[in-house]
Amino acid sequence: MTAPLPAAAGFAGTVRRAWRLPSVKLSIAVLAVVAVVAVLGAHLAPYDPLAQDAAQRLRGPSGAHWLGTDYLGRDVLSRLLAGTGTSVLSAAEAVAVGLVLGVVPGLASVFAGRAAEWAAMRVIDALLTLPFIVFVIAVVGIVDNGPHQAMAALGLLLAPVFFRVTRTTTLGYARAQYVEAAELAGASGGRILRVHILPKVVPTVAVTAAGAAGTALLAVSSLSFLGIGVAPPAPTWGGMLAADLGYLAQRPLAPLAPALAITITVGALNALADALRDSMGGHAAVPRPTRRDRRQPAEKEPSRV
Amino acid sequence: MTALTLAPAPASRRRRLASPVTALIRGLATLLTVALVSTFLTFGLAALGGANPAAAVLGETATIEDIARMNHEFGLDRPFLERYATWLGHALTGDLGTSWFTRLPVAESIAQRLPVDLSITAFAVLLAVLAGGPAGIGAAVNAGGRFDRVVTAVCAAAATVPAFVVGIGLIVLFAVAIPIFPSGGYVPFSEDPAQWLRLITLPALALSLDSAADIARQLRTALVETLRENYVTGAVVRGLSRRRVLLRHALRNAAGPAVTVLGLHIPRLLGGAVVTEAVFALPGLGQLTGEAALKSDVPVIQGTLLTIIVMVLLSNVVVDAVVLRLRPGTGRRTS
Repeated sequence: MTAPLPAAAGFAGTVRRAWRLPSVKLSIAVLAVVAVVAVLGAHLAPYDPLAQDAAQRLRGPSGAHWLGTDYLGRDVLSRLLAGTGTSVLSAAEAVAVGLVLGVVPGLASVFAGRAAEWAAMRVIDALLTLPFIVFVIAVVGIVDNGPHQAMAALGLLLAPVFFRVTRTTTLGYARAQYVEAAELAGASGGRILRVHILPKVVPTVAVTAAGAAGTALLAVSSLSFLGIGVAPPAPTWGGMLAADLGYLAQRPLAPLAPALAITITVGALNALADALRDSMGGHAAVPRPTRRDRRQPAEKEPSRV
Repeated sequence: MTALTLAPAPASRRRRLASPVTALIRGLATLLTVALVSTFLTFGLAALGGANPAAAVLGETATIEDIARMNHEFGLDRPFLERYATWLGHALTGDLGTSWFTRLPVAESIAQRLPVDLSITAFAVLLAVLAGGPAGIGAAVNAGGRFDRVVTAVCAAAATVPAFVVGIGLIVLFAVAIPIFPSGGYVPFSEDPAQWLRLITLPALALSLDSAADIARQLRTALVETLRENYVTGAVVRGLSRRRVLLRHALRNAAGPAVTVLGLHIPRLLGGAVVTEAVFALPGLGQLTGEAALKSDVPVIQGTLLTIIVMVLLSNVVVDAVVLRLRPGTGRRTS
């Protein structure tokens, strides 16, 4: 049950193989739209996302308000567009924190001594057990309710996935014959890491990041739904759902727009991660980890949102 | 990130899990480490951030005397490590301190809220098994057929929809459009069992969807593989009925990954319960933690976090024990 290691063909080959799949083209298209909206959202919005209009409360879709208005008469489309940036950037921030906190110790653990390795694995096990939302709420409650505090806590919980995937992949290559050859040829540790190992680790980490981004976006939506991280009235996808919840009797279909935004974006990220992973596997021309390396249990999907 | 497959456990893993007692000890060891690491983390953050009851309760108006007085009252004027050790010692005896705001014992507030989360989580686990199990078996039996394709599609869709969105959808469907269930609230089982069931059905349903999908997917994969094994063919050849081969021989061997996945889902269910509670206005642990977090009521936050971690780990130990019993040749060998 060793984790699949990427093909030696490299990242470009993987991307080219994946690009042939229609699901990848669709995912990239969706994510491109989301990215554009995330950057330009506030400018694309037809109204001020915070502007209230008491005369226009809880209206259905119309020519003036394509997606209707919420309980304060704010334009839903404008809030959806303006909220994209907040939601997506928060998720990206969490993934970035997770990348740094996971990949660096992951690489280090392969080359550090056994004591450090043991300690790292225990901390990782501990982090893997913590439920995302509860932990982030706890950290935010203790430190301060701000977006960066919440995303740092979320990133910390995403780190174990990156740690494991980096460690497993690095282990596979660190014992490879060409790395031994490089060592014998007198290459420095830094050079071996930079030239021979990192390029092989990056694709796997990139795929993991796509999956983690989906997880992060789900968590961010749940947190903003609870008012953790980004506080109202700033528009977020989760916050819009929380606002709609009190007025379901009047506008039962109001949650549809933010719910679809979350679902479609997360779906695109997951589909992309799956497709890239599939395109990598199967061509594993990499050395298998030795028995000692295989002691660690198989990767488990983090399932704590 | 491999899916957990049915492949027989490598020798080392099998040896490690040789007896339920060893598994139990390992589980408890992890429990201790996790509890220590996470509580130390939250304690350290609180100390570093300078969280103190006077600032939390009185806000900007707190004077230096107020801060000193309340710090002394809650023991915050003692050194960090001493405080942490005392808290741990008390936690072991079930005393989690008192809230900075209400001055109520934290353990008491948690004991009041816990049944809500246990109710919806346990019911969600039951629903997930009842829905995911048959769906997975059905899909595996006619792999490639129409039912299989429907199950696969539903499972893929379920993975992208967060539980709280499902919850809102269920309210719209079954509380607003067709009002057969209440949209929220909670009544303890001891007061009105029928109403209790009505109130926890929608939250549990919302919570269970994702787990049901994962169970179905894992069970399908494992069962499809198992049904190709020689001993299954052998059993069929020997004239055993299809039903008996499926349920007695194949399912027992294929259930392992699904049970493991269920175990992995329990943290998600407990965490998801916190958000689901908010959707259905349930007075559970999530509400307690959320309110405490927005007020910076540190003892309550630490208490609820510890409680949830302990529950997650205890359920992991139970799941490990079940997996062990299901896997042929491991549980019996030493016990």
